[in-house]
Amino acid sequence: MLVYTARRLAVAIPVLLAASVLVFLMVDLSGDPLAELRLQQPPPSPEAIADAEARYYLDRSIPERYWLWMTGIGGNGDIGLLQGQFGPSVRGVAFDIGTQLSSSIYVTIRLVTAAVIAALGLAVLSGVVSAMRQYSKLDYTLTFIGFLALAMPTFWLGALIKEGGLWFNQTTGTGFFYTIGANSARVSNMTGWEYFLDSAGHLVLPTITLMLTSFASWSRYQRTSMLEVLNSDYVRLARAKGVPNRVVVRRHALRTALIPLVTVATIGIVAIIEGVVITETIFQWRGLGYFFIEAVKAQDAFAIMSWLMLSGTLVVIANLVADILYGVLDPRIRYE
Amino acid sequence: MTTTDNFNDGATATVDTDIVLDVQDLSVTFSSEDGPLKAVRGVSYRVRRGEALGIVGESGSGKSVTSMAIMGLLPKSASVSGSARVLGQEVIGLNDAQISKVRGDKIAMIFQDPLTSLNPVYTIGYQIAEAVLTHRKVTKQEARKRAVDLLDKVGIPHPDRRVDQYPHELSGGMRQRVVIAIAMANDPDVIIADEPTTALDVTVQAQVLEALEAARKETGAALVLITHDLGVVAGHVDRVAVMYAGRLVETGSVEDVFYRPRMPYALGLLGSLPRMDEARHERLTPILGTPPSLLDLPAGCGFAPRCPMAQEVCHTSEPALEAAVDGEDDDPFRRHSAACHFSERLVDARPEDLFRTTALDAEAPAELAEAEDTGAAAERRQEEAEAEPGEVLLSAIDLVKNFPIRSKGILRRKIGEVQAVSGISLELREHETLALVGESGCGKSTTARLLLQLIRQTSGEVTYMGQPLHSLSDSQMRPLRRDLQLVFQDPFASLDPRMTVSDIVAEPMQIHGRGKGAKKRVKELLELVGLNPEHGSRYPHEFSGGQRQRIGIARALSLNPKVLILDEPVSALDVSIQAGVINLLEDLQDELGLSYLFVSHDLSVVRHIADRVAVMYLGKIVETGTTEELFDAPAHPYTQALISAIPLPDPVKERTRERIVVTGDVPSPADPPSGCRFRTRCPKFAGELTDEQRNLCVEEPPELLDRGTGHRDACHYSQVVELI
Repeated sequence: MLVYTARRLAVAIPVLLAASVLVFLMVDLSGDPLAELRLQQPPPSPEAIADAEARYYLDRSIPERYWLWMTGIGGNGDIGLLQGQFGPSVRGVAFDIGTQLSSSIYVTIRLVTAAVIAALGLAVLSGVVSAMRQYSKLDYTLTFIGFLALAMPTFWLGALIKEGGLWFNQTTGTGFFYTIGANSARVSNMTGWEYFLDSAGHLVLPTITLMLTSFASWSRYQRTSMLEVLNSDYVRLARAKGVPNRVVVRRHALRTALIPLVTVATIGIVAIIEGVVITETIFQWRGLGYFFIEAVKAQDAFAIMSWLMLSGTLVVIANLVADILYGVLDPRIRYE
Repeated sequence: MTTTDNFNDGATATVDTDIVLDVQDLSVTFSSEDGPLKAVRGVSYRVRRGEALGIVGESGSGKSVTSMAIMGLLPKSASVSGSARVLGQEVIGLNDAQISKVRGDKIAMIFQDPLTSLNPVYTIGYQIAEAVLTHRKVTKQEARKRAVDLLDKVGIPHPDRRVDQYPHELSGGMRQRVVIAIAMANDPDVIIADEPTTALDVTVQAQVLEALEAARKETGAALVLITHDLGVVAGHVDRVAVMYAGRLVETGSVEDVFYRPRMPYALGLLGSLPRMDEARHERLTPILGTPPSLLDLPAGCGFAPRCPMAQEVCHTSEPALEAAVDGEDDDPFRRHSAACHFSERLVDARPEDLFRTTALDAEAPAELAEAEDTGAAAERRQEEAEAEPGEVLLSAIDLVKNFPIRSKGILRRKIGEVQAVSGISLELREHETLALVGESGCGKSTTARLLLQLIRQTSGEVTYMGQPLHSLSDSQMRPLRRDLQLVFQDPFASLDPRMTVSDIVAEPMQIHGRGKGAKKRVKELLELVGLNPEHGSRYPHEFSGGQRQRIGIARALSLNPKVLILDEPVSALDVSIQAGVINLLEDLQDELGLSYLFVSHDLSVVRHIADRVAVMYLGKIVETGTTEELFDAPAHPYTQALISAIPLPDPVKERTRERIVVTGDVPSPADPPSGCRFRTRCPKFAGELTDEQRNLCVEEPPELLDRGTGHRDACHYSQVVELI
């Protein structure tokens, strides 16, 4: 198991390197970050342009720029991913990409984690119940809910959920659901417990929005895989041994039925990270989604690259976790 | 041999406790979209302590469903009626918690496919211990100790190490032993084994049957052995029950049913069975038609539509299972009973008295059936067999095929080689059937593909009528393909479901530019293979397995080939259907002068159909000769083991036969043993040879030579043994 994990880790490094090359090239070749400056009327002095080019390292060749971006060696001390520097922002010296990014991550990771846990938990529950009561009313109801959630676009569903929350607040005359932001404005003078409750409250509606699509598709997978396992020979043998049904389902069926879900969920987590842009916009969170949209608007090349690298890293980590989970769940993988 | 005789004159009370499984009027109906499907209808039987009952029947006869109903393992869509008592306790209608107390404790079950019967994510030790812990109040350590103990009892070497392994680390035969160990775990009173060896190779089957016997001895359990293999039944049970279309149609002692069958179906089954202990050229007697649909059962006897002696009454009233012999034992559960209105007519009947030795399909037009003259064909065969051997058509010299083993990951480096075929030479002569036999993974199918040049050899030569094929390009090869055609094993997967039968049969002609007149030719071909030529516009799914295999043969014949490569052509078919296809192949050979390369694992079929036989083991031919030489005087220990592992459908012979048993499993072809490849499993190597003699086996690969037996074998110490 240790060797297996080490090997998986070793594979992650070249993947991240390849991702960094792709990210760099795609952003670097997508346009001139100084285009606006060059087109200004009256035209800025050639010195000013050269100055800007030097500040953003545009006077270097592409391989040099990539080298700088990765290592920061030969730069002005504001660049080099390996040194924890994300590069100069076109939005001025006051805008530090690193600081902004870490505060955005903190906001977003809460949302993504909550959504993944909720989606997984509910998907497994509903998939198992559906499979065990195949063709029952409950199965049909869950199937219907699943397809409904799959069919509706997130931006519309999100808006609907937000409206629903507002409507509930209005009719009951309470502030039960939070519909704006990740925390209340008076966050600075809260105690730890109050802060936790406030954060959790703000999480409810965005989490539901973000998880619905994934929940729907994962529960379908879980149902199929559970059905397959329930009809398998080894579940039949377990029953023939006299193991009570409850135990058979938990011990023999559920564990093996989870294996395919691990794969599907890993790919799904990527979708959740992408979907977070929409959800954050709807609920006006200042998280990674907001960060990305602002960066694109400002044509802030280093910010965009940093964001892409970060998402790439998150995806690689998710895959790594999935691989390790795989090994834990399925001994056949471990011994490969 | 019945173990129950001792209890005959005992008090009634003893008799009652003596019955461990008592099934009364058990019926199972599945609700399906097309209406109720009556899988089992009114089955009653009793099994006494220590007794072995064999339930035989073809696929769909309801034999497995019956036992699943007893175990309470059927899906909810099944409605079960009747009664089944295990040690006097009714088990039908129990809820899950109640039946769980019986299952695995008093009654245990062994399933067909050992590869899927064990949970892949738990160790085998855990899975055996689970069975113990479910029913006994013991600690985990004690349960584990019991698991090691049981593994030892079913013959798994190094049980203390194996116990912590996962199922995927064990071979199929080993896994089936683990399943047997699970069944033994709580010393049950009844063990139901549902086709326990069907998925296994014959030598492994012999080992597993032995383990099953050991399990019975150890636990004293009664055995219900469900199988389609009459040979397995003959050797391992006391009484037999024959099932057909959901009913028991004949029951009795194994001798009664095998030697004195009183139900035409049982008689027909025995007649359609190719037998290893019978000389060649005796025609088989297939049972025409297919079993009735369980959705739409005939009003009378279920077998009447296929029965040659069916009368008016057979089509209107279903016969009850009644005593076949008057005045015999009046216990309905022990006497010889048959469900036939005319069972007394079968006294001393032989299969050929009742069934025709036909090669036709049941749906063939009547005029074809009248024109058929099988007697003359059989005579011709006899003459042919005695004639001089014909010219060599297809030959292989030192054929080698290695498949690379590649590493996982992006690079896919070559990290080894599987030697599928390592240096095979063989000759197929005109109008001859050469059988290539061996267990799975021995390289017989790869050899067949190499001969057809469907895959290219690593080295060696293939020639067809003196012309080297191995150096031809694909386009140069194409015209020659007309002469060399292939019939596949799986009649379901080898026909395109979206093409009509006519199109399927005509396709080779169109590819080879002979589309003109194809329509007429298709009709001729369908007639030739015993099908109704009017059915050409139908699709494959409208045909039964046997009919589909006939379509596959018609397709192979459409280009007038000289050589047919038959890759396990009958192994997917039920016995009664298989016989018709075998007869057809024999007739076609006579009529068209074909040569067959017959690839098979079934020695009984091979004995029946082949002129010459080559036995393969791990990519090498270990013995070759005429069929008579090979079966009457096998010289190589592997051939001997194979022959003695095939069960004979004859209770007396099967129980008194000398057996040569091999141990273990086939080694990996990626790393074959040095010297003689068979030595790791060779009973001679293990038992008879001195250390000095063994050195030769370890160091020197034996060549295929005539060592004074009249045919060639590849054993340094070959010695003829008579086994049949």
